[in-house]
Amino acid sequence: MATIGHSNINAKLVLLGDMGAGKSSLVLRFVKGQFLEFQESTIGAAFFSQTLAVNDATVKFEIWDTAGQERYHSLAPMYYRGAAAAIIVYDMTNAGSFARAKKWVQELQKQGNPNMVMALAGNKVDLEEKRSVSAEEARSYAEENGLFFMETSAKTATNVNDIFYEIAKRLPRAQPPQNPAGMVLVDRPTEAARASTCCS
Amino acid sequence: MYGTHQSGRNIPFDYQSQVISYRPSIHSRRANLTVKFQDLYGFTVEGNVDDVNVLNEVREKVRQQGRVWWALEASKGANWYLETHVSSTLKASLRFSAIANAVTLKRLIRKGIPPVWRPKVWFTLSGAAKKKSTVPESYYSDLIKATEGKVTAATKQIDHDLPRTFPGHPWLDTPQGHASLRRVLVVYSFRDSYVGYCQGLNYVAALLLLVMKTEEDAFWMLAVLLENVLVNDCYTNNLTGCHVEQRVFKDLLAKKCPKISAHLEDLEFDVSLVATEWFLCLFSKSLPSETTLRVWDILFYEGAKVLFHVALAVFKMNEDQLLLTQQVGDVINILQRTTHHLFDPDELLEVAFDKIGSMTTNTISKGRKKLEPEVMAELDERLRRLNSLKEEEN
Ligand SMILES: Nc1nc2c(ncn2[C@@H]2O[C@H](COP(=O)(O)OP(=O)(O)O)[C@@H](O)[C@H]2O)c(=O)[nH]1
Ligand SMILES: [Mg+2]
Repeated sequence: MATIGHSNINAKLVLLGDMGAGKSSLVLRFVKGQFLEFQESTIGAAFFSQTLAVNDATVKFEIWDTAGQERYHSLAPMYYRGAAAAIIVYDMTNAGSFARAKKWVQELQKQGNPNMVMALAGNKVDLEEKRSVSAEEARSYAEENGLFFMETSAKTATNVNDIFYEIAKRLPRAQPPQNPAGMVLVDRPTEAARASTCCS
Repeated sequence: MYGTHQSGRNIPFDYQSQVISYRPSIHSRRANLTVKFQDLYGFTVEGNVDDVNVLNEVREKVRQQGRVWWALEASKGANWYLETHVSSTLKASLRFSAIANAVTLKRLIRKGIPPVWRPKVWFTLSGAAKKKSTVPESYYSDLIKATEGKVTAATKQIDHDLPRTFPGHPWLDTPQGHASLRRVLVVYSFRDSYVGYCQGLNYVAALLLLVMKTEEDAFWMLAVLLENVLVNDCYTNNLTGCHVEQRVFKDLLAKKCPKISAHLEDLEFDVSLVATEWFLCLFSKSLPSETTLRVWDILFYEGAKVLFHVALAVFKMNEDQLLLTQQVGDVINILQRTTHHLFDPDELLEVAFDKIGSMTTNTISKGRKKLEPEVMAELDERLRRLNSLKEEEN
């Protein structure tokens, strides 16, 4: 089954962002394909895993869905330590949640792994009539900060699988222990190269 | 809106009537299907037929313990368990009986306080009764009146969490249940504005309500828990106390289960990823209800060290499996599967005390004192970093 250049990757992924932005809903949609209005509240973070196949790799995401009021933010380092990827979620109907998403980005840039793949998710795009953060503003912020950006809806499933898929594509591939003589290694997608150097 | 706020408000939830009505059908027996049923405290549990049998055995043991407690009361007199404090003013003969009672009591409590006795025994032994006796009778109802209609950050968070606290429970998840839980949490948030409300307390208070039967007693149990039983600042700003407990726990795990500790470290698995919730919710979100309450029986008599015993036990009882894990997800699955299925409290507590061995409250206090400066330094450093971010921005 294993083909040349095919790798199995375990990737720790953390979701950060305002309470109510839709982190748990995004995870539930991605992992179970469901959307529920009321979920039991999480203390600290909940763990999920989900495997995704991309062209050249099978990525097993180990997902930490963080939760909790301000004082719980002191636990965040435990969840993002060693993470290969992060999704910072805001609610696009709530400008305050976008401002707080930026704070999380900064905290990760200062403290996280410099090769961490970071995604910015403007969630609840199904509530277009209530929009208060424009896509242009968020996109240009994301570009300036080396994140990739998507607007999502956990409710309608818009872009939910896509955002995880994009992350999977951008994760750094493990270097083979030795470059077998004469073999040409498959070029990495250009975004992947960019993502791995963007935040230094 | 909810009538007058008399302090003896009763909770119309009666575990006595919650008999397991489940009879394994031929089909489920044959296929070993997962079935849903209600446990002793009204929680819906999913399990297989074996789990149902275990729960029925536990129910029988609870009945036996009940008979033991009644017999003791008959022979030693009502409230005998209160006469376990040895004071120097006691006459020698009395002192002897106090010591004897204390030894009996510790053993007895480790075997479990029968649910009908819990409200009374917890209330007196934990110090809640004493705490309550230092304030006017009307303290709780006065606070309810004084806080009515007030909106604070704490009340908003409480309102957000009410429907998310054990959703589906036949009493907690009703308008009455929400109203009771709300009052307990709101009143406490005004009693200690430094704690205010911290998520996690909703689960603790909810279970206290189910056990104590009256809202006011549940309130005092919450107070004694936060103010006397648990480490300081467990739920305050930054959860400092909780961070300290986690560090102490990691040290103990390295000492008591060195192989597991080393293996998990190799996997880069931080045990606090799972243990934080255990300590903040006092296992109420992880263990079946009667098992949780058996832990709390000991918590209110012997103190917070039982939390370490139990947390260590959950790792210890899975030692062989844990040592084989290669992935974080497998570790978490093993631990969650175990905690969710610990329907037999004795299975857990035997490991917690016999296999883990003794630890004194003093050992734990020393550990806390030693590790506190490190924890504080780390928390401060993070805050400094975040503040420097703010300045860069300006
Ligand atoms: N309309 C809409 N509502 C959403 C969406 N995602 C989440 N929600 C709702 O927003 C609330 C908060 O979601 P939750 O996932 O608990 O947020 P979290 O605190 O970030 O985990 C819930 O009531 C969800 O049903 C979405 O994409 N669209
Ligand atoms: Mg959530």
